[in-house]
This record gives sequence, C-alpha cells and structure tokens, in this order.
Amino acid sequence: MGANDDDPRKHRILMVSDFFYPNFGGVENHIYYLSQCLLNLGHKVVVATHAYGNRSGVRYMTGGLKVYYVPWRPFVMQNTFPTIYGLLPIIRTILIRERITVVHGHQAFSTFCHEALMHARTMGYKVVFTDHSLYGFADVGSIHMNKVLQFTLADVTQAICVSHTSKENTVLRSGLPPEKVFVIPNAVDTSMFTPAVDRPKRSEQIVIVVISRLVYRKGVDLLVEVIPEVCRIHPNVRFIVGGDGAKRVRLEEMREKHSLQDRVEMLGAVPHAQVRSVLIRGHIFLNSSLTEAFCIAILEAASCGLLTVSTRVGGVPEVLPDDMVVLAEPDPSDMVYAIKKAIYMLPKIDPQDMHNRMRELYDWNDVAKRTEIVYDRALKCSNQKLLERLSRYLCCGAWAGKLFCLVMIVGYLFWQLLELWQMILRRCRISLFRKTVMKRFWKIHNDTNGVFWCTTEFCFAH
Amino acid sequence: MVEFSISNARYTYVHDQKYPSENADMHHIILRRSGSKYIFVYASALLVLACAIYLYFLEEKSISLVYYSLLFDIFLVKLLLRKPVNKESVVIMPAFGVQLETHYMSGKVVRCFVPIDKILKPVLLECVTPVTCYWTLSLIVREESEMVLVFKNLRPPIKMLVHVWKALCAATDNKEETCTHAK
Repeated sequence: MGANDDDPRKHRILMVSDFFYPNFGGVENHIYYLSQCLLNLGHKVVVATHAYGNRSGVRYMTGGLKVYYVPWRPFVMQNTFPTIYGLLPIIRTILIRERITVVHGHQAFSTFCHEALMHARTMGYKVVFTDHSLYGFADVGSIHMNKVLQFTLADVTQAICVSHTSKENTVLRSGLPPEKVFVIPNAVDTSMFTPAVDRPKRSEQIVIVVISRLVYRKGVDLLVEVIPEVCRIHPNVRFIVGGDGAKRVRLEEMREKHSLQDRVEMLGAVPHAQVRSVLIRGHIFLNSSLTEAFCIAILEAASCGLLTVSTRVGGVPEVLPDDMVVLAEPDPSDMVYAIKKAIYMLPKIDPQDMHNRMRELYDWNDVAKRTEIVYDRALKCSNQKLLERLSRYLCCGAWAGKLFCLVMIVGYLFWQLLELWQMILRRCRISLFRKTVMKRFWKIHNDTNGVFWCTTEFCFAH
Repeated sequence: MVEFSISNARYTYVHDQKYPSENADMHHIILRRSGSKYIFVYASALLVLACAIYLYFLEEKSISLVYYSLLFDIFLVKLLLRKPVNKESVVIMPAFGVQLETHYMSGKVVRCFVPIDKILKPVLLECVTPVTCYWTLSLIVREESEMVLVFKNLRPPIKMLVHVWKALCAATDNKEETCTHAK
C-alpha cells in the first residue's frame, strides 16, 4: 500500500499537456522536474500526453512517474486534433483509475490541456493551470487563442504564472481575477549546469554564445544586425551560435556577406544534453528574444558562470540579479552597447561564485513546495454545482458566453451518458430512486479495476 | 474439482486443479451471457425494419428501402453479435508449456500452445486505446517481437488476472530454477 492511501495531505496529481518527453523544451522540462520533486515530497504524479510516434501506452519514468501516452495523433505543432468531447472517455478512465485529486494543465497553446481541463471540471475535479508563455492581443491567432483561454480559465480553481509580467498578461487575456493567480518562477537544474573547470582565457579571445531556436520570436533578425557590428568594434570577440530553425538561413547569409566564417561558428541543432558543453566554451551568453515569459536559457547560462546580455522583454528583468545580467532594448545599437558594457564587466565575474548564487536562488524543490501550497489551496475551494459554474461562463462575452455554456451543458450530458453506459456494461441494477446507493456501488466497481501499485513485489490497493 | 473461483457481473474466474498428479493447472474465464445485448440488437433491427415497412406501405416509398433496411439489419446483427466467445482457458503444464484455449458458443475451440522454454516472462500490462485503458496478461516470448496475449477476446478485471499471472510466474520460475540446476 502506498503512503498516499493513509496521508490525506498528500495529493494525487495528473499533469496534462501536449508537450512532454520525448520532446525537449521549457514546458517539457518544467513538467518533468516539477513531477520528480513532487514525487520526492511524497505525492503521486501521473502525466497524460499524446502519443509520440511509436511511443504509445503507459510508460514509467524515473522515480515511478507514470506517463500515459494517449494514442491521439498530433496535427499541428505537436497539438492533438481538437475534437471537444473526444478525450472525455479516456480522461475519465485515467482520473478514476489513478484516483486523482488535482488536475494540473500546462501551456495555453495545448488543445489536449484545454480539453482535459474542461472534462475534469465537468466531472467535478479541482483544476490548476500553469501558463508558460506571453501572447499578444492584436493578431487573429492571438484573439482566438485568448478566447479559448478565457473559456478554460473561466472555471479554473487556481492558476500559476511563471513571472509577474506573465501574470499580468494572463489576467488581461483571460479576465481571471488576480487573486486566483499565483506566481511561481521556473528553476534550473544547477547540478547539471556547472561552470567549466578551466575556461578559455579572456585576454586571448572573448567568446559569446547564442543558443536558441532560430525563429522570429527569438530575435534572430536582431542577431543579424548585432553580430557584424560587434565583430567590427571588438576584434578579439568570437561567436558560437547553436540551434536551428527557419531563420538560420539569414545568419548564414550574414556570415557570407561580412566574411565572418572564422569569427562566427554555427553548430546547428544542439541536443539538450550537450547544451552545457557548448555554454562552458563561452564567457558571455546573448539572448535576443523579442518576447519571453521567463527564459530558462539565461538561468542555464548563469548557472554555468556566463555573464548574460539580454533584451529587456517580458519577464526577463525578473529573472537574474542586476550584476549577472546586462539588459538592452530590442534594438541593434542598444544591444551592441550592452555587449560592450558586458565585455567591460567581464574581469569582475567569478563563474563559481555565480553558480553558487544560482544554486541558492533557484531550486526545483522550492518550486514544488510552492506548487504544493497552490494544490492545498485548490482543494480547499468549495465544490460547485453545474448551474453555479455556468454563470461564470456567461460573463465571457455576448455570444461566446452562451456558446461556452452550451458546450459545457453538452459535455455534462455526454458525461452522464457515459456513466450510464458504464453502469449498463457492469450490469449494475439501475434504479432512479436509489441514486446514492447506485453511485456508491458504481464507484466500487470502477475502483476494483483501478489502481494497481507497481513495486518490486506486487501489492494491491485493495 | 473446483478449487477457487471469483465472479463479478460479467466474468467468472475458476481455478481448476482436476489432475493434481499430472501437474496440470487450469484457469478459466467464463463470460456470463446476458440476454440484454441480444434483446437490444434484435429490437433495434426490428425497429429499422418496421420503419422501412411503414414508409413503404403508408408513405408509398419504393420497395428497395425495405431491402436496404434488411441488408442493414443483417449487417448490424453480424457486426454486434459475431462469433460469441463463451470461455477462455489457460492450461499450465510446468514441464511442457502453456496451452491457451478459446471456446466459442458454437462449440468450436481454438487452441494455441506455447512451449515452456520459449516463455521469457508473463507480464501484466496496461493497454491504452483512444477511449479507454484496461489490463491484459501477456507472455513475452523468446525470439518473437510480438507478445502473446493470454486472453485474446475477453477483458477480465485485474483481480482475476493476478491469480493467473501468479500461477504462470510460478511455472516459469520453476523451469528457470531447474535450468540453472542442470547447468
């Protein structure tokens, strides 16, 4: 028997998102590290995501983290095809089998997350949502995304954002009351990102490292302006550019145009496991993102003892202390000036000291403890009936509100139909008058097909 | 002689040790027949046919509608009530192997034998489909990429599967021990 069965303070959490291992990225790492730390605290964590290629079914990761790769194919940008009610049966099965208490969804741009949260709310579970990115308000894509977010967050129990800027952005986009939103910054695995034992000498050459996806959002167009200028002003500066993407061609063209082949090294896509080995080759880390809710990349760089130069966008100013980062406006001349300032600051930097400070400042165990507080708060919220919840959806807009209400009512009906079907399958005697007895009986039936603890010697929940 | 049995609304598990001297261990999963599925399918088929006949006689539609509805009914019955399985059995003979049997309502029996030295391990696995998740018992077989499902048609609950799994583990473990002794 797990300790979970006895301790009511321990939660059973279901993380839902389209983004998880074997994909690599900020959201994926966040879910993985948070899950591991929550497992260390004694909670039970299960992750549900869509199948990645052949990787379908149940997998167990380190620490007994159970992952359900649900065989729904992704259709665009790793997102599951949105069918509104398609995921209801499988999510219901997972919630009952694992006896989940809290459902935690990640990333606004994840259809799996939105649908799973909707179904969890229909079934009366407590729901927590974490938003990892900043979004705009003006373009068509953002407007629709924000409406979907408004729908999901209309009835969420608690929300978490990764920075105060992100909280402001989420609250404005979704109309969520700010009291419901907690700010829990991301962290970094400082044991994995340690400074180099022997670094290349600063007096010979200064190496500036850039590692990011080479796409518009990450400010590659700025890099194209900045790099030649810096190379012209500082003859002893060299660049290492890691990463791949649509804008890589522009960087290659810049290299050719200014004959910087020996000063700018292009590494291509760098697997996450090798990021540290690339970072420790440099002295300065350059981040030119045009928008960033938090930016774990600069944490990784700071943990490796690099001085960071970054654009002052989104949540970046909240991440590092002022003596570890030089901020600039997303403008080429301002960034060149910032790099000059950073080169000037370089002799005062002690990488090991920087790493030690990062270890104190950022720790995934701390994130897990704070998230645990959010779960405790979520579970203390009252259970609400369908009618009370529908009133929240009506405020979402003149037409949208009514549409959302309709979607929730149909979802509720589907759920009741599914429960009836399951009862028929299990041959429970249906009596419309003895509803409470029937519900208890059904619950027992469902539980007996439920949790099966996987330990070295098999033992049973019942 | 019946040693042990569990039953729930749909399945009955029976552990039979009829031949103790010959070391054969039998486990059966029996599906409880319920008339309700038949009633439901035949009633809906009848309803479709009745609608078609009503449309033909009273609304003057063509006779082909009745023929199509008849075809649809036959298709529906064939789809939902095809090849009903009565019972699935596992006969464990520790010295030889494991025999998997499927008994159909028509009396037909399909048997599959797996030699004991080909079985690497019996495992309990969770299978995830787009709409549900259920437990299955499978045998990992040497030199085969696919596992052999012990209960191919029925989906008994985990409480019943565990007993069969334990018996299979005992049989395969014994075999491994004798192998090491021989070496």
